[in-house]
Amino acid sequence: MISIRHWFRERIPISGDVLRELTNEPVPNHLKRWWFCLGGTPAYLFVVQIVTGILLAFNYQATPTAAYESVRYITEEASYGWYFRGIHKWAATLMIAAVILHQMRVYFTAAYRKPRELNWMIGMCLLLGTLGLGFTGYCLVFEQLSYWGATVAANICDSVPWFGGFLKRMLLGGESYNEHTLSRMFILHAAVLPCVMILLLFVHISFIRLQGVTEFKFSDEPKDKPGFFSFFPDHLFTEVIIGLVLMLLLSFLASVVPAHLGPKADPFTTPETIKPEWFFYVMFRWLKLFSGTFAVLSIGFIIFAMFIWPWLDAGLRRITRNEEISTWIGIVAVIALIGLTVWEALAAH
Amino acid sequence: MEAKNDSTNARATEDRRGFLTKLPTLGMAAGLAGGYGTFFGMAGSYLYPAASNNKTWLLATHLDNVGPGQAYPFRTPAGEQVVIARVGSGASAEDFIALSSVCPHLGCRVHWEAQNDQFFCPCHNGTFSRDGAPTGGPPKDANQALIRYPLSVRGNLLFIEVDLTSLTT
Amino acid sequence: MNLQTKRVIIFVLGIAFLASLLLVQWQETERRNEEAGITTKLISVPASSSRCVECHDSSSPGITAHWRSSTHAEKGVGCVECHQASESDADSFSHYGEVIATVVTPRDCSKCHVTESAEFAASHHAQGGNILASLDNFLAETVEGNRTPFNPHSPTPGMDVTEVNGMASAFTGCQQCHGGKVALMDKDGGMINVDDLQPNEEGLPTNAAAVASILKDDNGKPKFHPGTWPNTGIGRINLDGSLGSCSACHSRHDFSPRRARQPENCGKCHLGPDHPQKEIYEESKHGVAYRDLHASMNLDAETWILGEDYAQAPTCATCHMSANSVDRSVTHNPGTRISWTNRPPVSKLMDTDADGKIISALDPAERQELLSNGMSHEERRQSMRNVCQHCHTPDYVSGFYKQYDDFVVLYNEKFAKPGESIINALRTNSLITPTQFDEEIEWTWFYLWHHEGRRARHGASMMAPDYAHWHGMYEVAERFYQELIPQAEELVEHAAEEGRTDQAAAVQAIIDEILARPEHAWKSGGTEPQGG
Repeated sequence: MISIRHWFRERIPISGDVLRELTNEPVPNHLKRWWFCLGGTPAYLFVVQIVTGILLAFNYQATPTAAYESVRYITEEASYGWYFRGIHKWAATLMIAAVILHQMRVYFTAAYRKPRELNWMIGMCLLLGTLGLGFTGYCLVFEQLSYWGATVAANICDSVPWFGGFLKRMLLGGESYNEHTLSRMFILHAAVLPCVMILLLFVHISFIRLQGVTEFKFSDEPKDKPGFFSFFPDHLFTEVIIGLVLMLLLSFLASVVPAHLGPKADPFTTPETIKPEWFFYVMFRWLKLFSGTFAVLSIGFIIFAMFIWPWLDAGLRRITRNEEISTWIGIVAVIALIGLTVWEALAAH
Repeated sequence: MEAKNDSTNARATEDRRGFLTKLPTLGMAAGLAGGYGTFFGMAGSYLYPAASNNKTWLLATHLDNVGPGQAYPFRTPAGEQVVIARVGSGASAEDFIALSSVCPHLGCRVHWEAQNDQFFCPCHNGTFSRDGAPTGGPPKDANQALIRYPLSVRGNLLFIEVDLTSLTT
Repeated sequence: MNLQTKRVIIFVLGIAFLASLLLVQWQETERRNEEAGITTKLISVPASSSRCVECHDSSSPGITAHWRSSTHAEKGVGCVECHQASESDADSFSHYGEVIATVVTPRDCSKCHVTESAEFAASHHAQGGNILASLDNFLAETVEGNRTPFNPHSPTPGMDVTEVNGMASAFTGCQQCHGGKVALMDKDGGMINVDDLQPNEEGLPTNAAAVASILKDDNGKPKFHPGTWPNTGIGRINLDGSLGSCSACHSRHDFSPRRARQPENCGKCHLGPDHPQKEIYEESKHGVAYRDLHASMNLDAETWILGEDYAQAPTCATCHMSANSVDRSVTHNPGTRISWTNRPPVSKLMDTDADGKIISALDPAERQELLSNGMSHEERRQSMRNVCQHCHTPDYVSGFYKQYDDFVVLYNEKFAKPGESIINALRTNSLITPTQFDEEIEWTWFYLWHHEGRRARHGASMMAPDYAHWHGMYEVAERFYQELIPQAEELVEHAAEEGRTDQAAAVQAIIDEILARPEHAWKSGGTEPQGG
């Protein structure tokens, strides 16, 4: 044993102590509270997505003639194909939910304030990346929703003033859905977005390490308790527990509510009722409420406002002299999000 | 129980305590290995190609088309050349053999050499007799015969079981 | 929460995760087992036909698509296997390196389907083309059309009609059900059919002169006589001398057993005023149950055995042809289970001799002698009863057959035999000419037995009361009393006026004898009080 350790130490000159020192960052006590693990959850789910995504990519073929058949093959023929596809689909749903909850937690605890404004913006990019993955992901199945979802999304891009047409052509690889579209979606979904996400996640986590986790004190904690606990192994165990709970949840969902396969994409018939995945309900309803260009521009404006929120918030606080102003705005925004989502979910058309 | 101060007993207690403190760690490792191990095992079985289930029985020919001692060339839908020969005098499946034209050595195509009464593989000079037994070259050294396809007779028809898997179909 | 607790929790969750995966594994096994029964059919284009399919996929994609959905495609039977011909076949031609023929005959099918072909050849279906001497054929070729072409009598705007094909009604009416004689064009404009070719045992033509005079196009492909091809009549008389067309029921190119099992298939021909079997079936409880339950009748089953694969309702095929749990093999001779033939004016029991001909001898010993090599109506009825008794008790079936026999005998005795003897008397006494359909009474008699009489008997045979009575016996009676008898008496009267008193008296005596019978006495007596 000792000789093997020695053999490796000679070739990889990092001592265990150094490694422990590097990773073993003290973690503030409030992270013992479970809802502060919402940042680790999407990270864990992202890993699940990479693993299951690679598995699915082994059997997926990104051409209009073969895509649907290959998804059918995965779902119906390959051993456990239905299970991995189910996990991939449900992990996507949970990941988006977790990212939103994580962002809400950061928002309501005002953890984005100075000096963490940049990390908030990276977080925003990760949110958009996650949504982009969700969108391109369901385009790949090549069922009716995939085709019409992509078509509708491209035409939404088209209504952006000045460079809308450019966006649409970039997205579809042509004036309308054509034989190049699917491979674009696939490369975005399986290569571009994941790579960007990995880089951003690295920066996101590096920022946390550099700036340290925002510390919170809760009134019910004893004053004399040490304010920190060690990352390894204590917090790691917490994350492992969360990972296992998520795996259980995913397994349960994948086998009880398996990912099904709708009718194959048919460019000649738009389905009677067409709805995107739930996480786009808000936008979908918004687009129904307002006319094309205004709706698109307002969504763009809202996203821009979210990006620069740390500075907007600071400005608002200065102007209104109300420290709680962001909380109130947040509550209104959350109610609006939930309201629009529920409205869209309940509406028949 | 009575010998409380016995040194061996004390050591045993210590060992037991050591074991008890290690138990959750071992359990944790076992639980993680069991769960994630199975998960990746399933991923392995997802990736491992399933045994071909594309085998099917096809009509080869009418029995009348292959007289005793004669051979009938059959090509499978996947493009495989098969030689069906009537070796017996009867009309049951045992009276026929269907030989693959793929050399069992390294997968080249054998062809029939009428003048030498043998199948010949041009890659490494392997030869096979009329019934597919290896007679020369590497196949003989390794005792690899030509692959025989299952045959069955129904009425006056000869059926052959072939694999349909191919890139072209 | 201390570290030890966390470790224990991780252990428990790890085991739970493992358990959930075992559940997934169980689900996967279940799924595999379930799918084992419904493996998707593998379709392969046999190497022998790959070039045919390649081209015909674009030139006639329907044909290849139909073939792809066939059992033939599954079993590696391609185009060449059926269409292959010998160079000496009259209608063969070279098509991209293969010698083929357009028409696939039962002789071709019999290369593999030996039993089916033999059964079919023994059936009345195979004889469907032999209608040349029948009344129906006379109607189509002479009364409705003309045996030779004739000139049009005024122009048809937009179409240059130079002659009228008098056979058109026979070609498209009669022969598309009954089957016609497939013919090739002669170089001199005539037609060459099986009679000219005189095929031998192998179906190859022996008349070299006829073969030499076949008209061929630039590619050497023989030209078919357009009146005789396309034709999928069930009794088609083919150039190779074989009788029938398997595609009449099985539809090319998917040769679907499923379709042949459904009544709509038989309904191409077995319908209409003279033999509305399809409509009768639809009216019966059998047809009603079929319409309701056909989706669950397992019509795709390989064996389709009544009592095992399905029992919801019978179709035409169920009773007349298909396998059941007692008679385990399907028969391609639908007459096997029929005990009465209701086709002729007077119904006959299906006691047949070795050649399948109905035995007309009256002497019981002679009948028994002939029957010993043939098949009795009792045997036929027993095999039908084997079908019935899957759903009905023996007593119930006996009761039905008693009702059916009584009905047929009533029709025979009260109307058919008397009607026939009156028509025969008129003809033997020259009160009507030997030519059919030139006198009104001949049409009357034809309506009586060929339309109304058959409707009545078929209605009774397949449990459709409205056809048995209102479309059947009611109209038979009306035709008999209100038309046949008055028209016969009018002919007698005319003959008497013309001075042919002996002949008139002879026929009148027969009419009087019939009307004096107790079953007809009500008409002259009229004593029976009628309900209001």
